[in-house]
Amino acid sequence: MTRPGLFAAGLVAAIGSTAWVVTADGQDVPDGLSFLGAPVTAGQVARGQELYAANCASCHGADLGGEPDWKRRKASGRMPAPPHDTSGHTWHHADRQLFTITKLGVSAVVPGYESDMPGFEGALSDDGIAAVLAFIKSTWPERARGFQAEVTANDEGGS
Amino acid sequence: MMNVYTETGSPLGRRSVLFMLGGVAATGLLPMRWARAGGTSASALTFDGDALVVTGAQLRRFDPFGDATLLPEPRNPVRVLACHPDRPGRLFAALEGSGLDRSEDGGRTWATASGGLPRTQVTALAVAAGAPDTIYAALAEDGLWRSEDAGTNWSFVMDRPWLAEAEREILTLASVNLASGMGGIWIYAGTDQGVTRVPDCFCRWQDVVAGDAMDALVAGTPSAPEAPLPKGEPVSALVSAHSAPERLYAALPSGFWVSANGGVAWENRSSLHAQALAVDPADPDHIAAATNTELKHSRDGGTTWATLAVL
Repeated sequence: MTRPGLFAAGLVAAIGSTAWVVTADGQDVPDGLSFLGAPVTAGQVARGQELYAANCASCHGADLGGEPDWKRRKASGRMPAPPHDTSGHTWHHADRQLFTITKLGVSAVVPGYESDMPGFEGALSDDGIAAVLAFIKSTWPERARGFQAEVTANDEGGS
Repeated sequence: MMNVYTETGSPLGRRSVLFMLGGVAATGLLPMRWARAGGTSASALTFDGDALVVTGAQLRRFDPFGDATLLPEPRNPVRVLACHPDRPGRLFAALEGSGLDRSEDGGRTWATASGGLPRTQVTALAVAAGAPDTIYAALAEDGLWRSEDAGTNWSFVMDRPWLAEAEREILTLASVNLASGMGGIWIYAGTDQGVTRVPDCFCRWQDVVAGDAMDALVAGTPSAPEAPLPKGEPVSALVSAHSAPERLYAALPSGFWVSANGGVAWENRSSLHAQALAVDPADPDHIAAATNTELKHSRDGGTTWATLAVL
């Protein structure tokens, strides 16, 4: 489906009837992908990828694969950073949850929960957080995107 | 080989009496004809359709009229039993020591169903409420495992719950068919520190609060339950009514507890101290309980209990 070699940096184009969008780095942005009700753009995904690399990849993995043995609790009692690809559970969460967890920390959604992940309020703007999550969502296959879109739609206030 | 318990009275007369009295009021009329002297503590039972399968000194199957059939033991004594209403005749049995067996004929024959499971004690079992081929097993000093093919293959899905600054053994599991807000339902666990739950996407163990995780967020800090289970007591059994999943029953040393709202608020319904519980899939008020010595049942949601058999 993708033809990244045909596109110059910064070019955004739709390919075929499924209208995938290709970013400057050759990333695909699935047609119809949204975050908190707003369409995800190629530029947003590109920015999100950069922010993810700088702020998230050290724990969640450059390949979004999470920490090793992420289902086993650390000696501290806290859980390792989970993957953001489909081997994890990020795609089970509504947009609003993902945004809130990223901005305020897991304890904002699960009161009292202790996590090694800080809230990124102050480190990232709201737009930056949205870009990171848009990037993560753009990597999911269609089945996971569809599932997560349904979870988001069912969540009051979601898109 | 199946052995049928001999009865002292006319089967027709006994069945007629039980049918007319609906079971509960028949306590005094139920002689200890199923009684067996001695034996180990009963710790497992499940409804298989309208029959009850229970382990005590031996593994037995009680039909709706109270007739008991002795079942062959699997490889080892049974510690936990589970069944799904949509798969009548299919039983899962966690065995003492380690291992898990499956029966497809109501417990008459058994085969191993623990491919990939570590050789560790299975402390609790549950069949997913909405997916009869999905089984959850809690392993001692390990965590939660899942099979999505009725026990043929297993994979690790979640560590044990972290409560009061330590990992806790899962003493009992229940798949509760209430929306988690994450596209699935909840798995509840009873521990020696009370009840906790995890969405079936396995993101994290969390306290039971009203609604789902996002509801708590929208409301701000969730209020503490007005009527929680007593703190510091082990939850030895926890079940959800298949036909009314918001209805939970829990067995604690302090007695038999009922929740009508998915475990947010609890009411102490009786002093019965059960080791295992099961809910009739067709009637959420019909509960069976195994104590250390007796098999009991209630047809009024746990307020009154009648003895079905000595175990």
